[in-house]
Amino acid sequence: MIWGAWLCLASPLAAALLITLGGNALSRRGAGYLATFATFVAFIGAAISFFSLLSHDAGDRSHLSTGWTWIAGGSYHSGFSVLVDPLSTMMMLIVSGVGGLIIGYSIGYMDGDPEERRYFAYMALFVFSMLLLVQGGNLILLLAGWGMVGLSSYLLIGFWQERHSAIAAAKKAFVMNAVGDATMALAFFILIQKTGSLDFGDVFARQGFLGGWAINLIALGLLGGAVAKSAQLPLHTWLPDAMEGPTPVSALIHAATMVTAGVYLIVRTHPIFEQAPKIEDLAAGLGAATLVMAGLIALVQTDIKRVIAYSTMSQIGYMFLGAGLGAYANGMFHLMTHAFFKALLFMAAGIVIHALAGEQDMRNMGGLRELMPFTRWCFLIGSLALVGIFPFAGFFSKDSILAAAMDRGWYGYLLWVAGLAGTFLTGLYTFRMYFVVFGGQRSAFVREHFHHEGHGEGPFSMTSTVATLAGLAAIGGWIQWSPFWHPVTSWLEPVARPLVEPANWMEWTSSGTALALGLGGIWVAWLLYGARRPRPVPRVAPVESALVHKLYFDEAYDLAFYRPAMRLSLLLGRFFERPLIAGTGRELAEGSVDVGRGFSRLQTGLVRTYVLAIASSLAVIAVVFVAVR
Amino acid sequence: MTIAMLGPEVSWYLAVSAFLFATGAFGVLVRRSPLIVLLSLEIMLNAGNLALIAFSRHHGRGDGQIFAISVMAIAASEVVVGLGLIVAMSRKRVALDVDKLNFLRG
Repeated sequence: MIWGAWLCLASPLAAALLITLGGNALSRRGAGYLATFATFVAFIGAAISFFSLLSHDAGDRSHLSTGWTWIAGGSYHSGFSVLVDPLSTMMMLIVSGVGGLIIGYSIGYMDGDPEERRYFAYMALFVFSMLLLVQGGNLILLLAGWGMVGLSSYLLIGFWQERHSAIAAAKKAFVMNAVGDATMALAFFILIQKTGSLDFGDVFARQGFLGGWAINLIALGLLGGAVAKSAQLPLHTWLPDAMEGPTPVSALIHAATMVTAGVYLIVRTHPIFEQAPKIEDLAAGLGAATLVMAGLIALVQTDIKRVIAYSTMSQIGYMFLGAGLGAYANGMFHLMTHAFFKALLFMAAGIVIHALAGEQDMRNMGGLRELMPFTRWCFLIGSLALVGIFPFAGFFSKDSILAAAMDRGWYGYLLWVAGLAGTFLTGLYTFRMYFVVFGGQRSAFVREHFHHEGHGEGPFSMTSTVATLAGLAAIGGWIQWSPFWHPVTSWLEPVARPLVEPANWMEWTSSGTALALGLGGIWVAWLLYGARRPRPVPRVAPVESALVHKLYFDEAYDLAFYRPAMRLSLLLGRFFERPLIAGTGRELAEGSVDVGRGFSRLQTGLVRTYVLAIASSLAVIAVVFVAVR
Repeated sequence: MTIAMLGPEVSWYLAVSAFLFATGAFGVLVRRSPLIVLLSLEIMLNAGNLALIAFSRHHGRGDGQIFAISVMAIAASEVVVGLGLIVAMSRKRVALDVDKLNFLRG
């Protein structure tokens, strides 16, 4: 039943248009309810697609429906088509389901903001873009969704447009993403030139004919796009700054959906990556490097949202690691559980921020344990799921990625060690955050600013979604436990057959080690931050300052790109634009004035000179006529 | 045809006409009084008339003469306007000297 997919795609777009065109005819609350309703309609559409696929055989689960010819140029045609296959339905369910919960949460969180309607229109537009990205039946539509996701992210990060820092962060995100979009577009150009098509089927059928350099370039270009969108090294610097947006935006875009698009892209185009194994290894390596680096930086961040943002980068690093190794289903499974528990953490943090009058600095928090018991328990569930403690969601998804790494030779073991180090760091930074915010004594700031709105810890729209996500984070991982049952892997098998098949002892070793290291991280965090008499935090000044400066990536980019570009443009301005381009106009004007002044001397004002000129010219003409005859 | 045979050749008339035209043009160019300039213009017009009539006789056709009559009519009206302007100028105490009337100077 393909109409489910079309319904899924159209409903958020319709909501965005209705809110935009409706204007004041729609109440602010109404806009929120409309956006939430439309996103849940999209979820129903996704569920319809999912169940109709279930009723087909495993070999017959890829349906392409073309609405109309969208682009036609020369021999190149591209239809506006949606693809319904196991991978896209899985993404549709995650995007619309988690997206609907988060938009519902926003009704409470954004209540009273003067521009709620604009917010909900943007949110609905974002959900539409993301669905277009995952449902697009060819690479062109995927790129269109990709770009629109970048646009809506830009709009939402800069939603509080009176803040300069928000505008700067929005621009940064857009520019960083544009770099990735450009490399992706270049990869598509090579694909069109080599295969003449951007349809998934055609491209994957013919990519065997591509030369070695071409396939490597294409894979590299796609990886560039994925890295930029998913905030991996070296294009990651925009994600922490993107926390300038409202908290639900961070939850929706920068945790649950948009940043995972890179993982989706790698899994979707895995036949290309499989032809370029070096690039695949590069993707896995970048993921491993990012997960360790982000975990280290998260240790010293003081803004609660930034800690979670770095944790997002780190977790997406795991997904890249999985996807790069060929453990596609494990990467996608981690994407799903991560969407649950990271959205949960962000939104629980949002409740805390709400209750503390917008404060985000953890140093001002503390002792919220008794004040917000519900939020505390939800946050704890999210944290345990993030660290990967049995039986919460992260345990099942993260450990299977690590097990997959063991099946890949010495390089795999290298990545495995990095992943395990990441697990320890995850435990440490997550529970540092937990103990600092909820444990200890109530800080002066909390005693002064804490306030309850009405009864409970927040509006129903906020607490109910957090509770739902807490439930999902707790039990959502049970659908797959690698050695015993693996429905996600078999569901995705027709689309992306895994390249690695870890043995059972690898699963057990990885799970055991990761669990032990995660618990070790929690224990260290407890010693340093949670215990009744905490030990002094060991500090190494140069390391700490390097981490506070986020390993100087911003400074390096500033030095490598911004300053030379600035200097070059100043030089060009001084030596090229002002003399040549601005000067040309002035010279033209002055020149014509001079020419006019010269000719004006001919105008003596004496009639006789005019007569003489006329008469002598006539005489000359007469002589010429006579002579020519 | 027969009429054309009488009298001198057409070139003589043209020579007189050219002489008159040159005289008039010279007057327009060198004299400074607007009255004389106007008078010289009349001489040029009449030189043209003479040429028209001479050709008319030479070809034995009347249209040149008709043309000459209309030139005279136009010349008469032009003189009226010109003299009127000169009278108006002298009443406004504008100097009657074409060299001083150079308001069109750039």
